[in-house]
Amino acid sequence: MMKTTYVNIVMRGLAVAAMLAASTLPAAADGKFDGVTLRVATFGGSWKESLDATITPKFEAMGGKIEYVTGSPQANLAKLIAGRGRAPFDVMEILDAQVPDFMATDFLQKIDLSKVPNTRYLADFQYNEMMVASWNTQETICYNTEKFAELGIPAPTTYADLAVSALEGRISIPDITSGGGLANFAGFAYAAGGDGVNIEPGIALIRSLKALKFWSRGGETVTQFGSGDIYAAVVHAGWCVRAKNAGYPVTTTHPVITDSIKGVAKEGWLGVMKSSEHHEAAVWFINEYIAEGFQYRAGTKNGVMPVNQAVISSLSADPIAAEMLETDPAMIAKALRVDYSKVNVSDWIDSWNRMVTSQ
Amino acid sequence: MTVRWDLLLIPSFIFTFVLLTLSQTLFLEGSFYRDLGLGRTSDEFDFSNYLRAFTDGFYLTTLWITVKVSALAMIGTLVFSFPVAYVIARMRSRWGMILLSGIVVSTFITIVIKVFGIIIIFSADGWLNRSLMALGITDAPYTIIGTQEGVVIGLMYFTLGFGVLTLYSVVQTIPYSLEEAAEIHGASRIRMFWRVILPLSMPGLVAGGLMVFNMCMGAFTSAALLGGGKVFTLPVLIQRTIMMEVKYSMAGTLAAVLLVAVILINILSIMVLRRMRVARGVLA
Repeated sequence: MMKTTYVNIVMRGLAVAAMLAASTLPAAADGKFDGVTLRVATFGGSWKESLDATITPKFEAMGGKIEYVTGSPQANLAKLIAGRGRAPFDVMEILDAQVPDFMATDFLQKIDLSKVPNTRYLADFQYNEMMVASWNTQETICYNTEKFAELGIPAPTTYADLAVSALEGRISIPDITSGGGLANFAGFAYAAGGDGVNIEPGIALIRSLKALKFWSRGGETVTQFGSGDIYAAVVHAGWCVRAKNAGYPVTTTHPVITDSIKGVAKEGWLGVMKSSEHHEAAVWFINEYIAEGFQYRAGTKNGVMPVNQAVISSLSADPIAAEMLETDPAMIAKALRVDYSKVNVSDWIDSWNRMVTSQ
Repeated sequence: MTVRWDLLLIPSFIFTFVLLTLSQTLFLEGSFYRDLGLGRTSDEFDFSNYLRAFTDGFYLTTLWITVKVSALAMIGTLVFSFPVAYVIARMRSRWGMILLSGIVVSTFITIVIKVFGIIIIFSADGWLNRSLMALGITDAPYTIIGTQEGVVIGLMYFTLGFGVLTLYSVVQTIPYSLEEAAEIHGASRIRMFWRVILPLSMPGLVAGGLMVFNMCMGAFTSAALLGGGKVFTLPVLIQRTIMMEVKYSMAGTLAAVLLVAVILINILSIMVLRRMRVARGVLA
């Protein structure tokens, strides 16, 4: 009698466990993507970890496999051009600065938006039949609060506030070839009274921040905060979140650019490569990318602003995200957004290179 | 029956031709067309990229920096590696082989790890800066990251092992009996070095020096990592031109300029050395 009861309890427990497992994986094991290997060109490190924690298991449960081709979008675009559009991946992260390039070429295939129902959480301008917006970064000044207090430097509100002798050699700004390079270069230009065409004031402002370091990957700033090499960095809030999570006393400020502009935004997009033969899997991936699961994790763990409107308000419940990110829609709308179809990026890079060499 | 050993050259030739000559020819050919963006080039053959490379101060400065840091790294490598090579070559105990093995093994370590070692050593809170400041030698942390000095040190670190190995074989070709003869005739160690060892090592030093110089001229990793985006050598600029701007033609032009500069400097060095030897022969 005793044994029978025990077996019953175990069997009931297993049944409940099976039901729970089934409920957490709604489309599990339906074999929809049996044998499909989806290659996604995206960022490495904690970004890939977030993808692996939220999207990869769901895809694998449907019989497929995701391979992440990690690297910068610039490097991936270079591969794409070298391969004359034949890409070694199906889906690619695209930076806002690359959007005009993609529009001018024939590298992307049209997205069947009916299969991306989560676009209902996006603003209308955030998706079209070629690309779907995937994230925003808030480019900030991340600074070491303890060091600033120790040196008697007030919390910065503008880039120009960093031009103090105590910070010489202790500031890092993005190299123009890095992911945040162009957006922040524009930030400097506008903040100094210039614009996308008149960039010289921005170059003068950068020069005034003496003995700068230039980072090429945001992760470098986290390491440099840890090693004491820098006290402030112009970097997107996500790297400041990661520095804070690593135990460093940092916080962000969203720099005042002009009277009406505060902060600098950079946008990410996703596109499906023309050469991809896995359109259905690719659009499934995009739909999951903008779903609540990944978007919330990217916001809280990676400090990247979601595009999913439903997730943005929930970020304020996370103490670090609330401190580092601007979650007020009215303030978000005030950030500088560069229209790259109206600027000559090649001129920017050329001017940057000359500035560096003449220093 | 004659054995055709020369046929063994064919696979190597095909391998080299396909991977090196063919790809470089494509870049070289592309350098004579203007960039139109996104990897596209014009149809009209012209020299505008070369004109820009040779008249624009930015590119000339970059070329000058490349030659300067490579030459300094070469001199540093020779100065540091020659004594090491000499001591090891003259060692009669098994320690010579052990030390030589250590140097060979050190060349196996990837340059990225080596360079990051330097970056850690020179970090603001690293042991070197803490020690310098504790001893009152400096007030503020000293860094080499983002400086030409840093790039030179990185290049020397990259080439030191090769330098020792090359010069070791050079010193080994100098009979020890010559040094003994000089010593018997009353030459001091310094005089013996200047009058016997150095002249006999000169061809090897020049060959080794040029090898190191050529390696430095094409080195990317040390220059990119230790330059910290603030020191542009030609290889760094070529990488940026291709990866960021996708300007294949300009990148091809810069690659051709780099190649021609290296070849010219090698030829000039050999010519100067020959003239010096001829002059010395006349004087003697």
